[in-house]
Amino acid sequence: MLSACFSMTGCNEDFLTTDPLTEIPKEAVWADPALAESFVTGIYQGFGMGGFDGLMLASITDEALFTHPNGGVTSITEARVNSANLGWVNNTYSWENMYSYIRRANIAIENLSDPQFDNEGGIVDRLMGEAKFLRAYYYHQLARYYGGVPLIDRSYGLGEETYEVPRATWEETINFILADLDDAATLLEGKSMEDGRTNELAALALKSRILLYAASDLHDASTAAANSSLLAGFTAIELLAYPEGNRTERWQKAKDAAWAVIQKGSGNLFGLSAPVSHEEGIQNYINNSMARNGGEKELLLARYFINMKQEDGGRQGLYNGPNGYNNWAGNTPLQLLVDDYEMMDGTEFNWSDPQHASSPYENRDARFYASILYDGALWKPRSLANQPKDPLGQVQTGTYEVTDGSGNKVPHFGLDTRNSSIEDWNGSYTGYYVRKFIDANPAIVDQNTWQEIPWPFLRYTEAVLNYVEASIELGQEEEARHWLNQIRFRVGQPAVTDTGEALTERYRNERRIEMAYEEQRYHDARRWMIAAETLGRKATIINITGTLKPGNTISTYRYDPNLYNYVYKVVPIDPGRENRTWLDKMYFVPIHRDEINRNSKLIQNPGIE
Amino acid sequence: MKNLTQLKLFSLAMLFCLGLSGTALGQSREVTGVIISGEDNLPLPGVSILVKGTINGTVSDIDGRFSLTVSGPSDVLQLSFIGFTTLEVPVDEKNNFDLTLLPDTKSLEEVIVVGYGEQKKETITGSVATVKGRELAKSPAMNLSNSIAGRMAGVVAVNRSGEPGNDGSNIRIRGSNTLGNNSALVVIDGIPDRAGGLQRLNPNDIENISVLKDASAAIYGSRAANGVILVTTKRGTTGAPELTFQMNQGFAQPTVVPDLANAAQYAGMLNDLDIYALPTEEWAAANQAYKNSGEYIQPNGQVRNAPYTPAELELYRNGSDPWFYPNTDWYDATLKNWSPQSSYNLQLVGGSENVKYLTSLGYQNQDAYYKNSATGYKQYDLRINLDANVNKYVKVGLGILAREEYRFYPTRGASAIFRMQMRGKPNQPAYWPNGKPGPDIENGENPVVITTNATGYDRDKTDYIQTTGTLEIKIPGVEGLKFTGTAAVDKSMRFLKRWETPWTLYELGTGFEEDGVTPVLVPSKRGPAEPRLREENINQLNVLLGGVFNYDKTFNNIHTLNVVAGVNRETIESNNFNAFRRYFLSTTIDQMFAGGDLEKNNGGGGFERARLNYFGRVAYNYSEKYLAEFLWRYDGSYIFPENTRYGFFPGIMLGWVVSEEGFWQNSVGKTFDFFKIRGSWGQLGNDQIFFDVNGDGTQTLQEYQFLSTYGFSSYIIDGAETKTLFETRVPNEAITWEIANNSNLGFEGQFLQGKIFFEFDLFYNKRTNILWRKNASVPQSTGLTLPAENIGEVENKGFDLNLGIRGGKGEFQYSASINGGYAKNKILFWDESPGAPEWQRSTGKPMNTGLVYQYDGVFADQQSIGAETVDYTAITNQLRPGDMKYRDYDGDGKITPDDRVRMDENNIPTFQGGLNFSANWKGFDLTILFQGALGARQYVSAGESGNIGNYLLDIYDNRWTIDNPSSVHPRIANRNDQYYSNGNTYWFRETDYLRLKNIEIGYNIPAHITEKIGIRNARFYVNGLNLVTWDKLKVFDPETDNSTGRYYPQARVINTGLSVSF
Repeated sequence: MLSACFSMTGCNEDFLTTDPLTEIPKEAVWADPALAESFVTGIYQGFGMGGFDGLMLASITDEALFTHPNGGVTSITEARVNSANLGWVNNTYSWENMYSYIRRANIAIENLSDPQFDNEGGIVDRLMGEAKFLRAYYYHQLARYYGGVPLIDRSYGLGEETYEVPRATWEETINFILADLDDAATLLEGKSMEDGRTNELAALALKSRILLYAASDLHDASTAAANSSLLAGFTAIELLAYPEGNRTERWQKAKDAAWAVIQKGSGNLFGLSAPVSHEEGIQNYINNSMARNGGEKELLLARYFINMKQEDGGRQGLYNGPNGYNNWAGNTPLQLLVDDYEMMDGTEFNWSDPQHASSPYENRDARFYASILYDGALWKPRSLANQPKDPLGQVQTGTYEVTDGSGNKVPHFGLDTRNSSIEDWNGSYTGYYVRKFIDANPAIVDQNTWQEIPWPFLRYTEAVLNYVEASIELGQEEEARHWLNQIRFRVGQPAVTDTGEALTERYRNERRIEMAYEEQRYHDARRWMIAAETLGRKATIINITGTLKPGNTISTYRYDPNLYNYVYKVVPIDPGRENRTWLDKMYFVPIHRDEINRNSKLIQNPGIE
Repeated sequence: MKNLTQLKLFSLAMLFCLGLSGTALGQSREVTGVIISGEDNLPLPGVSILVKGTINGTVSDIDGRFSLTVSGPSDVLQLSFIGFTTLEVPVDEKNNFDLTLLPDTKSLEEVIVVGYGEQKKETITGSVATVKGRELAKSPAMNLSNSIAGRMAGVVAVNRSGEPGNDGSNIRIRGSNTLGNNSALVVIDGIPDRAGGLQRLNPNDIENISVLKDASAAIYGSRAANGVILVTTKRGTTGAPELTFQMNQGFAQPTVVPDLANAAQYAGMLNDLDIYALPTEEWAAANQAYKNSGEYIQPNGQVRNAPYTPAELELYRNGSDPWFYPNTDWYDATLKNWSPQSSYNLQLVGGSENVKYLTSLGYQNQDAYYKNSATGYKQYDLRINLDANVNKYVKVGLGILAREEYRFYPTRGASAIFRMQMRGKPNQPAYWPNGKPGPDIENGENPVVITTNATGYDRDKTDYIQTTGTLEIKIPGVEGLKFTGTAAVDKSMRFLKRWETPWTLYELGTGFEEDGVTPVLVPSKRGPAEPRLREENINQLNVLLGGVFNYDKTFNNIHTLNVVAGVNRETIESNNFNAFRRYFLSTTIDQMFAGGDLEKNNGGGGFERARLNYFGRVAYNYSEKYLAEFLWRYDGSYIFPENTRYGFFPGIMLGWVVSEEGFWQNSVGKTFDFFKIRGSWGQLGNDQIFFDVNGDGTQTLQEYQFLSTYGFSSYIIDGAETKTLFETRVPNEAITWEIANNSNLGFEGQFLQGKIFFEFDLFYNKRTNILWRKNASVPQSTGLTLPAENIGEVENKGFDLNLGIRGGKGEFQYSASINGGYAKNKILFWDESPGAPEWQRSTGKPMNTGLVYQYDGVFADQQSIGAETVDYTAITNQLRPGDMKYRDYDGDGKITPDDRVRMDENNIPTFQGGLNFSANWKGFDLTILFQGALGARQYVSAGESGNIGNYLLDIYDNRWTIDNPSSVHPRIANRNDQYYSNGNTYWFRETDYLRLKNIEIGYNIPAHITEKIGIRNARFYVNGLNLVTWDKLKVFDPETDNSTGRYYPQARVINTGLSVSF
């Protein structure tokens, strides 16, 4: 009996050592190139949805207004963030998330430095190159949002003496990123990389971006101090800017880095000597933003989405489309953005021009039509239920007269407004919807279909714009105009001839328009230190009324300037919805007080309570 | 020993009585009667019936019947039986008696199940609460865990949801003791942690439940820290087979349905919101204009239309145009008044000297609150318990449970459904006047449709087969020594099937039908683009093998010794597999093969777990006066690495039965006839590491914290989903179990032979080595995914009490008792970053408390804003009338994050108690349970109220408005978009409550009537659950932990039942 008991329980207690069946031992991973590759691929997941979250960075800038009440957005736009309330912080740049992916990159770099498998076909180099690039990318996110940050270049273990690391200076942070990018570019040189992975060109393009940022006003201490008393009074300015040094040299480096990209890559439709037609221009820009029909050549690094894996990044149509199409109107373009699209002849749009004011959506830059859905714009067919209300599929963001059964004029509230008969609570406040990045294919019913449009992290065109900016700053205006026109010709806009301050303004607007909704404006406005007069402006919206011209009757509204007199009036958004303002504390994202409590060596960004 | 002596005396008395019964005197008459047990309303054999003051008596037979000759009407019958209270009945002129003996529930002779054994209540040294299965069966709750609240001192059960299949209570013993998992270990028939737990046990199968609250749980080692719940199922008895059929038909409804604004009120609030968007100086004028004409001309000349004109508001108010101006009460539209639930049970019990059996067959069917409900729960269960004496030395026991739990839902869950009821705009129709379903708010989620099978279905079937075999061998030659071998094999199989189909809602089209009055409705497809099917299979096998030696002996009638030593080996294996297909051609075939080949998907995985334990006990008592017990467990768990895998968990318990002392018996002993003081100390363990890894609020078991392993995920590369790997954690190789140091001091006593009894326990629990992550002190810049480390320290102290009285006169018997438990915990140490101000620190405060601003009234008007000297710029850039004031806690003249203060309460009550009352009179019986809780706060949020969702009527009634500015309640916000919409004390409400938890009234048809039709016993009863509640929360059930009402509310049940035995 006793023996029965013992044999049952067993002297051998090995059975207590069970293995996790859904996980794989670390040692096995780093001994096998396929598994090591999977680990490195995992580092890309810090990219999140790219910029395709329900809430986009555009909405904390003068590009867009977020329709839905969200305290996180207004905390930022109303300049009321503090160390306990950072406002909306996307995963793609959150302190915690970035460092967690930096750790992954550090692990990969450490293990690939002493590889347990052969460098067959350059696999070790390739993975190392990807890891270095990704580490640089995540540090570059931290740098451009927070300034100089603690530089962690190894994977910590448990129980170390201290984890407290002070913030590196701005310069150290930039140099760290550059070193990784140089390594990455070398390691990835000549390697053929799959879509979704980084590559040599992407490393060069990121280098171009970070050098451009480094050269900018915000990151030059004396310029920053001159423009902001808050920054002038900040004792640790070296965390955010170069305290000294030669700015020309920095611009030169930025220019060289941009040139390296321009030379190695091609982009889409560069090399034109004259503007294409307006219609072609619209199509070209759509192709570029959808990465189709040649537009894919624009992409240096992107986050892809496929229908098989239904991720939020495939729901841009639902998140941003018009309520009259049963969508949610999330990030709606502001009038401030719409006004900045040039006329197709290259002149500025001007409300005091009666021609412009009476038909503001005519004869505009091709990119306007490819980026914005405005009142009267042709869009997809509406749902079966709503087709009788709008058989043509035109966006309706105004209030119009129609005639009822007895011939009386009654108001018809546009289907895509907040007075719509269709899901009015999701209507745009601004009178616009974004079209860029949304698949116009009618088969994609945004309410229940995911689209497959990639998010562009790095575009060839950005490097060209960087090149233009650096050239202007270096006084090489001819070169700048040449490349600026390259970007304009393919969308049908005429060449620019501006010089001096006007050229700078022209360039800045070109960048705003070309890169709209691409997570550039927030950084550009800050680094150019024009945030107070751009991001801090009260948001404006359009108020549209259509009155029937005498003698006309119509029972089902349609956009028709022959039937209607349209009046367009720009008004500020109600202050109770969003009361935008700018305070210089908004130049850098606060570090959460909990993190400062965890790391006493951290210095908070200026002005943060 | 005392027990044994009493039994012998009793047997002698019985023989004596039997011998005498025939010799009654001639001139007297004969009376007859039937005695049933108040415990189960079954006939009670073996009851001694004596004419008081004589030696004339008899004993009831197998059917509980007796006949006895009495001398006259002045005689009094005295009925007595061990374990039951003595009953005296005057004979009067009656010849026939239907008598009920009430169980002596708190009798000191009662035997209580403890870890690996049983002990007499009188000599028990630990703090153990018990409840009988028959008491639990008086509750009409379909989930056993909902029958527990208020019945045992110190056992806190909170019911968070009433959804069929998911309506279990969260049970905690003596509150919360640790930062992580606070769930008690459930042991069913000696087997720990059986799959399925106790929730779905058939109450009719339960003999009793014991809860080990202190060191007495130490014998369960590394899983016992949060206390142990021992469930013992009923077994067969000697006697003729008895078949009992029981049926219950009940009706359930929500305890609380929140009152929401109606269409006119809601539309008016949307007008208000529109005004509040304007600059404050325009508010008064806009308000006036919206009221007068609905049109307001802004200073800049802009015409602004009220979202709803006065005429439209009137149409909503008078309901004259249901097509265009409906007024929908979404709860009314979606929920029916009463939802049926029923249960049936068939039980056969009997046996001979050598073989005893109990078989039980149960069926449950529970509907949801929804009209046209696609939600429900069904259960089939079977239990067979067999006991056989093979010979003088060998006994065999076999227990088999088979159960199917079938949960079914529509493809949108309860949280989506109730979210849409809370959100449901009252000015949108649930159904159009012609009966077609109305539109959605979003995602096609019109609650009257998504509660039905129109969306497809989501089915969850789990089958359990659990077997327990025991072999008990008395060791020949060593008196009192026996060996018990146990083998338990539990298999569970779960099958999930989710079939999603598109559904149709109707939107208002353009124009009218031919009749000219019915507006055109257009069907509109919602939900998935085409049918989709996902299936998953999960299989699990738990095997326990164990052996226990038990030695019981009394020496010289003074020294009683009990020694237990045993070993257990447990393994669990589980695996799962799932598959998915979409692009089904039609909704008619819901089988996997019929799906399209594009984008089909599958997956699967598994896990293995193992434990090895050695345990034992030495209990000694001296004349049942001085009691001592030592118990221990040496426990090995797969959760920890080899070198820290084993833990030793000891417990020491001492008791002194003061009332056995001469000095006591000679003084107060006459009335205060029992008094015991007991104390215990023990170390218990916890190996259950739970935390929220993904930050989504779900706590999951964290195994392998000591291993450096990588987990899998995926990412899109080259147009395809590609596997990725990530570091699951940085390993903690030193990880080991968490230690509970539990001390208890208890007093129990009784007066007047048990007429009044009490039990009072004081406890002090200190949990050390708590497994928690150093998130608060390790900077995020390390990027570490931290493992659990043995770092926390939490104390929890309080008391339990139980106080009762019982008595009666003649055929009227009653008992009443009150129980309660208070527990308050405090974090002594955990990983807290040093930088926070003292008033924000969580160390020294109860666990899980929030950091919030302190509400300090409301700015009623512009004037009070002007008078404000405190600077609010860090939290808002415009103070407006109706905004909330915060207290400048640190007094620096600014409202900053430093003014947030750590709260003292959370949503778990610190006190929970019950008041039980039961009475019998003739064939009637009544049981009442009041239950209540104190000390919790619930966060109530306006949630999605605003332009996408309705407001609570409570908010409507109290809100600040331009016409009626409040200095107490703030202005309404749109989807919590104001700085004061959350994160301050205003939104935390007290949830203290008292409720009539349970009531049962029953009637036994007199046996002399039923036996004519061959029925031994028949009983009717009516009972109810959560019938009345007194509370302050009002808007939701006080047991909720949901701040926005997005959950399936708790149930009120009214039930009728019938039990018949043959």
